[in-house]
Amino acid sequence: MLRFWIFFLAAVLLTAQDGAEALAILKKSCAGCHNVNSMNSGLSLDSKEAILQGGNRGPAAAVIVAAVKHAGDVKMPKGGKKLSDADVATLEAWVNAGMPVPESFVKAKRRTSKHWAFQPVRPKPAGGSIDAFILAKLKEKNLTLSPVADKRTLLRRVHLDLTGLPPTPAEMDAFLRDSSPAAYDKVVDRLLASDGYGERWGRHWLDIARYSDTDGYTIDAPRDIWPYRDWVLRAINKDMPFDQFVIEQVAGDLLPNATNDQITATGFHRNTPSNFEGGIDFEQYRVEAVADRVATTGAAFLGLTLGCARCHDHKYDPVSQREFYQIFAFWNGIDEVDKEEDRKYFNRPFLEIGSDAEKAKQAKWDADVQDLEQQIRKHQESLTENADKDSKLIALRKALVDLRKQKPKLLRTLVMKERPTPRPAYIHLGGDFTRKGSTVGPGTLSVLPPMKGGSTRLDFARWLVANDNPLTARVTVNRVWQQYFGRGIVGTESDFGLVGDRPTHPELLDFLAASFMDSGWSQKALHKLIVTSGTYQQSSQLREDATAVDPENKLLARQNRLRLDAEIIRDAALVSSGLLTAKVGGPSFFPPIPPGALTVTQVVREWKTATGAERYRRGMYTFFQRSAAHPSLTIFDAADGITSCTRRVRSNTPLQALALLNDEASIEFAESLAERMISEVTGSEEKRIRHGFDLAVQRTPRAREADRLLRFVRQQRDSQPQASEKALWTSVARVLLNLDEFMTRE
Amino acid sequence: MDRRQLLFGLSSAALSQLEAGTHHTAKADACIFLAMLGGVSQIDTFDPKPKLTELNGKIMDWTKEKKTDQPNLFAKPRKFVASPFLFQKYGKCGREVSELLPETAHWVDELAICRSVQSDNGNHPAAVFQMNTGFIIPGNPSVGAWVTYGLGTANKNLPSFVAMPDYRSIPFSGAQQWGSGYLPAEFQGTVLRAGSEPIRDLVSPRDVSTELLEAEREALRGMNGVFGALRADNPELRARMDSYELAYRMQMEVPRVLSIDAEPAAVKEAYGLNDPVTASFGRRCLMARKLVEAGVRFVEIFTPSQSWDAHGDIKKNHEKNARETDKPIAALLADLKQRGMLERTLVVNMGEFGRTPDTPAEQETPGRDHNTRCQSMWFAGGGMKGGSMIGTTDEIGHKAVENIYHMHDVHATILHQMGLNDLRLTYYFGGRNRRLTDLGGRVIKELVS
Repeated sequence: MLRFWIFFLAAVLLTAQDGAEALAILKKSCAGCHNVNSMNSGLSLDSKEAILQGGNRGPAAAVIVAAVKHAGDVKMPKGGKKLSDADVATLEAWVNAGMPVPESFVKAKRRTSKHWAFQPVRPKPAGGSIDAFILAKLKEKNLTLSPVADKRTLLRRVHLDLTGLPPTPAEMDAFLRDSSPAAYDKVVDRLLASDGYGERWGRHWLDIARYSDTDGYTIDAPRDIWPYRDWVLRAINKDMPFDQFVIEQVAGDLLPNATNDQITATGFHRNTPSNFEGGIDFEQYRVEAVADRVATTGAAFLGLTLGCARCHDHKYDPVSQREFYQIFAFWNGIDEVDKEEDRKYFNRPFLEIGSDAEKAKQAKWDADVQDLEQQIRKHQESLTENADKDSKLIALRKALVDLRKQKPKLLRTLVMKERPTPRPAYIHLGGDFTRKGSTVGPGTLSVLPPMKGGSTRLDFARWLVANDNPLTARVTVNRVWQQYFGRGIVGTESDFGLVGDRPTHPELLDFLAASFMDSGWSQKALHKLIVTSGTYQQSSQLREDATAVDPENKLLARQNRLRLDAEIIRDAALVSSGLLTAKVGGPSFFPPIPPGALTVTQVVREWKTATGAERYRRGMYTFFQRSAAHPSLTIFDAADGITSCTRRVRSNTPLQALALLNDEASIEFAESLAERMISEVTGSEEKRIRHGFDLAVQRTPRAREADRLLRFVRQQRDSQPQASEKALWTSVARVLLNLDEFMTRE
Repeated sequence: MDRRQLLFGLSSAALSQLEAGTHHTAKADACIFLAMLGGVSQIDTFDPKPKLTELNGKIMDWTKEKKTDQPNLFAKPRKFVASPFLFQKYGKCGREVSELLPETAHWVDELAICRSVQSDNGNHPAAVFQMNTGFIIPGNPSVGAWVTYGLGTANKNLPSFVAMPDYRSIPFSGAQQWGSGYLPAEFQGTVLRAGSEPIRDLVSPRDVSTELLEAEREALRGMNGVFGALRADNPELRARMDSYELAYRMQMEVPRVLSIDAEPAAVKEAYGLNDPVTASFGRRCLMARKLVEAGVRFVEIFTPSQSWDAHGDIKKNHEKNARETDKPIAALLADLKQRGMLERTLVVNMGEFGRTPDTPAEQETPGRDHNTRCQSMWFAGGGMKGGSMIGTTDEIGHKAVENIYHMHDVHATILHQMGLNDLRLTYYFGGRNRRLTDLGGRVIKELVS
């Protein structure tokens, strides 16, 4: 018997030399689940590279034999018959021989998919236009576009969409008077050139960036990252090409001779919440932040739910768990705190920003401290005994304490910076940061075109916006479209995967994506392309013929009415009441806040309510405290600044009504609008009412509307003869600023 | 059409009235969640461990435990701590309850106790998040938001989900504990405070007459109406007008519902409103009863943040907290029962985790540290089986060993009693259908009648 086994093993060893027999066993019994398109446990057995790389649990050599022998937790083949002893022996011998694989064995394949979103963007067809694509679909249902909205509605719409600010009466007059065919185009150009454009579209981007002015979690201390916010506004205002916009935010720090601006841009992925509570495991929250960066990258650029692959391979899309951690690896080497001993460096890495004078002051202070410390050391060494009573030492120590108190403060904005030595990245089994599987290096998704150059974060950033990447341009134009129509061409704007919505107008999506790339990724050109289309400019009036066949208005036989965003409701009131302070950028400000709103934070923070002009800045500059965001924002569905938000929901609640009726800010706006109605118009009450309408909703009241308000004014005069003019007109202003029309973009 | 499509198409307020509904017949119409922040010791309330009397003061061997909730505290030698409280049997079910809870103890025949609830993280902020949202990180909707999203509102004048924190110390991360996460804002909890303005912005700060406010309201209604007549079938506009009407009604109704002045002296006394120790929690328990009576679906009352966190002195800490809450809770149960409301009102009582059987050896006054491996929590009313109990812990009360349940299972049970299936109650966000219970919880069937 023994002789037989020796003979048998020798035979096996002989044939194991080239691995052909072992590979045949793997192919027959294992590759059904472990292949490039169905990598269970991250393992593919159908190419040489993949076999040598192994799966999530580690190198194949360490796992296969135990698995087929049923010697540990993992028993393979799963749910099938155990391999014969002979097959097991063959595999064991093959593994012991170092897993030789013949050169003829298949080279690694890239994953393939027939899913629409992974196909290349089609080039722009000749003669294509937004309206042509929309009309083609409408025609199939015997529909056509609605007529162009009236000029007043159109101007208010394009103002609110491009800048978030309604037109002033002067701007309205100018537009109404301009009967040239280019009148509308001129308005669009003027708006795209205004600061308001960067503020409006910058804010959309900040939703995705989960921008916030505090650290989040329980301590929720203020952080300085508004220089990043200002970088976004500047980049958008100067129409930085979108590919560059992405590269600087993802890897600006790695660009050759990176400027402070480019480094500041990397604040994008430092907007993740940070946890510094006592007794936590820093590594857990660092891993959480890195995982969030992967998920945000998926949602913001690729339209893929990469976050689903954190704990297991993606259930629907061609994204393996290994690939999740390959992308994870791009941020795993950032110099962030991962252990208790480094607690004092909690906000690392950061960039200190300041004028030359400020920096010089800082350098001098550093030198002074070192100098004093040295003096103390030297003096201490010279003392023989009773150091505590030495008067010179006491004086020196006191001087040091005093000097420390005078530490000059430079602005520190959070940025990306690599550690001197990289941190190894692992596949975290089950998504658990403590369960480390196979190590992984940085890499991308096999189903998409390969990354060029090396495999640094900068290469990754360039890969995201490479012209052969089929996703980023599509995802971006779709999100822009969504802002204009309330719904994207792909309804699931952050999921272009297999279970996401299919595009309602696939050719239009590609037309926009191709136009975007052809224009050198110019966002302004994209905006202009959309807002000058007939589809955008049509009336939002409900049409029964269209509603009957297309209740959700996916085919766009009319524009959609959209409730204004949280910040824009405030901004519109600021413009109407004439209070707006048009200051761009700088530290966030503190508008009045209802009593009690701040007592709901664990550590109650000081809220220095702004006075003077600062008090009337645009809503997007409101200081954003993550654990107790300003109610005027949260009540109206602003992004929560914790996870990336690619679309705001639009809810409707009585608390919104209460805020607009009774909030201190709302009352100030109404009083100020009332003052304008009184002081800017002389003459009849009708004239004042008409002026109020102009200021609030930029149109002339209909006779019935004017009559209704006039009746209100007269009734109040009769019933409250002692009430002041201001109180009376404040009531009128309150009615105007609470109209559904006021908070809606038609 | 699923809920998600509706949210795209219709205004969500219209949705919550149109589409919301139960998955199966509900046993409870409302839920009052009593959040015992800091973590109550199971060993000193519902899970007596006589073995600890024997081991008291002996050093605990932790070498076999791979993972502990607070590594810094477990790095040093630890000693066992016997409960300083006496246990006694109560009720027909003969349930053992410690002397800490003399009032609640009289209601054991109404309680359904689970002694084996586990959770995932031993840090307060993460654990409180899990108790309220199912997950240890921020950004997820709270239980009350999910219930409101699933069931819609049951009243015309009040918010559907009310949160009442203790203003001495608010829960970690504040409003996010009753927030709507990725659900629309209308499902977030509304904070009610004692005092003249229970809801923020409820009262106009302007010094104007109610007649003027009423006239403004009429004018606004008229103006929106004129406009609406031109766009007759616009659902968003209709919903906007409705929400203003609700806001006006809230201005009238909320102060009336919350006014406890008119309550009989005996009721005030029962809830402990005459005693400064019990007044804060008692007032909020009484308000909870009144809110549920007025059709509010979900009320959550919080003790101060970390109040039960008895690291330093288990006896002193737990006595103080039990004194503040025991009497009001018993009064709430009695009041609900007496009004016939308990049957359809689910009361839940739990903390973010349980506590350890031991304390650092160096510590003079014994305390107890965080323990995610077991806690004793209870349900009452709302179709739960009064006098029932499930779950067994090891002989020292360190971890659950039999019939182990998870925080997700508590959530699944709450939803189940309210007519919702936790697997089917989903919201599409970030590329997948999200749930309160993530991959699903198990209803604690043994406690359901």
